[in-house]
Amino acid sequence: MDETVAEYIRRTVLKIPRDEIKTMLEKWGLLSETQLQTINFRQIKESISQDVVQLCEENSVDIKQAAVLDIIYNHVYPNKRVWCVYQMKKTGEEAEFFDLTDFKKKFKGRLRSALKNVTINFREYEDNAIWIRIAWGTPYTKPNQYKPSYVVYHSQTPYVFISASVLKSNLPLLCQALVLASNYHDIREMELRSHSLNSLKDIVFKRYSQNFQTHYPRPLQERNVAPKSADLRIIQENRNEKERIERVNREVFGDGPQPKLEFAQYKLETMFKSDPQMDVLDKKEPFRCLVKFSSPHLLESLKSLAPAGMADAPISPLLTCIPQKARNYFKIREKKHFFPESFVSP
Amino acid sequence: MEEGKRNSAHGVFAHLERLEAEAREIAVKEEKMKQEEEKQARLKARVRELSLQRDMLLAKVRLQKKLREKRAMSDPAKSSARAVLEWKIKNIKGMLQISYLTGISGKQTKQGVCFCISTAYESTYLDSYYVHLLVKPEVQIYQHSVPTFIPLEEIAKKYLQTDIGRFLSVLSDHLNAYAGRKYQADQLQEHFSDQIEGTVQRNSLCNLLVFNYKVSSKSKTFPFNVRLLYGDLCCSLPTEVNVSCTPDAPASLAEMAAAHSDLFRRVALHKAFRSFSSAEESVDGAP
Repeated sequence: MDETVAEYIRRTVLKIPRDEIKTMLEKWGLLSETQLQTINFRQIKESISQDVVQLCEENSVDIKQAAVLDIIYNHVYPNKRVWCVYQMKKTGEEAEFFDLTDFKKKFKGRLRSALKNVTINFREYEDNAIWIRIAWGTPYTKPNQYKPSYVVYHSQTPYVFISASVLKSNLPLLCQALVLASNYHDIREMELRSHSLNSLKDIVFKRYSQNFQTHYPRPLQERNVAPKSADLRIIQENRNEKERIERVNREVFGDGPQPKLEFAQYKLETMFKSDPQMDVLDKKEPFRCLVKFSSPHLLESLKSLAPAGMADAPISPLLTCIPQKARNYFKIREKKHFFPESFVSP
Repeated sequence: MEEGKRNSAHGVFAHLERLEAEAREIAVKEEKMKQEEEKQARLKARVRELSLQRDMLLAKVRLQKKLREKRAMSDPAKSSARAVLEWKIKNIKGMLQISYLTGISGKQTKQGVCFCISTAYESTYLDSYYVHLLVKPEVQIYQHSVPTFIPLEEIAKKYLQTDIGRFLSVLSDHLNAYAGRKYQADQLQEHFSDQIEGTVQRNSLCNLLVFNYKVSSKSKTFPFNVRLLYGDLCCSLPTEVNVSCTPDAPASLAEMAAAHSDLFRRVALHKAFRSFSSAEESVDGAP
């Protein structure tokens, strides 16, 4: 077995938290049951990784098989990477028969024809997600296994989730290969980025809870109403206002948990509006300003702003439109008088 | 006292001064405490006053409500008309509530209409999907919860502007068929996993299923490979079925493969598998 492969396996095992190593090796399936039983998983990680490398030597594991362990690790911990969402466009109405083998063949073919030194791995998961790992090389160097790109694609959807490696120059080639393999004809980057892959999927696949009005009472009506503290001396004098805020908030945000985003960025290209007498800026050009909201869980914190009394309900639609418009990077220009709704650029 | 005796002349006066200062301090403290107590008593009295006022006002409001109700009820003709109206409203509300059982129901909203499409497959209710339409300036989709792999934009392009009813019924067909296919595939994986070898290859629309399953004949098991293609997106039965067995299998199996292929085309997937297991039991049981 090559030294580089051994080193790669060792470093990949070191990344995994100690309690998870056994399960991931089992999922990997490259070491047999008997071999796994010879490893003492209670020792320090360095020793465990040495044992694993030893056993892989016995099995003559190659780099492509070693890369599968990396995919498994990233599938369990996708939130360590930043994911961008791309949308593909089709021209006509072709029949929606997605053939996995055809997809893989076309994808590999396109990449290999442009760049000989690439390592490509595919792995399919139960929720129809296809994970693709690509390690890039150059015409003269072997692929760099430590900076791979990851692509997650759900068949028959126009959305692709890409966690690009630092080598951004390979992105156009990657996009081209995806478009060709999935029978679309164009791809563009959406202004939607986050660490949480599942939340990105929830937003574009519309799996998050939106509040739709219906006549029939839906079963999830009873939210956990915390029993009010039984101090009868305390009377809520503005209960109506509180209930109004709760109602408006629920209409906007829905009942369920919000998708997890870490930030929203607004690039303002609007004119500075000041008192004309103060005449702060006499040049009539847009005041460039960048507003960035960041939070461990941005949408939940926006949802709790009005009930906590920190903002008026309803909250500005610029903040609440984030899941519906599927973007968290905005460019705001001047309101044009004939298009009152469309001052947020597409 | 000893210090006072030691410095005889100044001592006594100094002592007296100290005592005076102490007395003053105590007086000031007592004054402060008295003021605080007075303030507390005043505030308590104010609180009592205000709550009395509030109770009076609440009582007045309650009284007025009662009077209004009495007045409303006192006129018998008015009250019976009112009762009839209330009954009618309750009836209509009830109808609107169960209208979702028809599969397509709608509610008028501030911006337009919100339609709910409920899916079901053979007497099992499955998920509901929503489409919120704006009606002015022109009919367009404002918000929806339809999954991305359903061709919503294409259906909207064809029918939304001209015939909303047709749009809804075509969309409902797509959604119901998808829900039916997904239900069959899920049931297959849940209840018949022992007959399936390996994983079932699916796709998001559940319109292409490829998997291997075991068939037992004369107490030996043979693997069959089946490829189900659901060409019609509005249909929950496959349009193309390919069942194949290994080349070295006995001839009787080829017949079985053809029979299975025909069965899959006509009957729901999980029901077909249920009939296999019951057929096998009867075959094995026969002498």
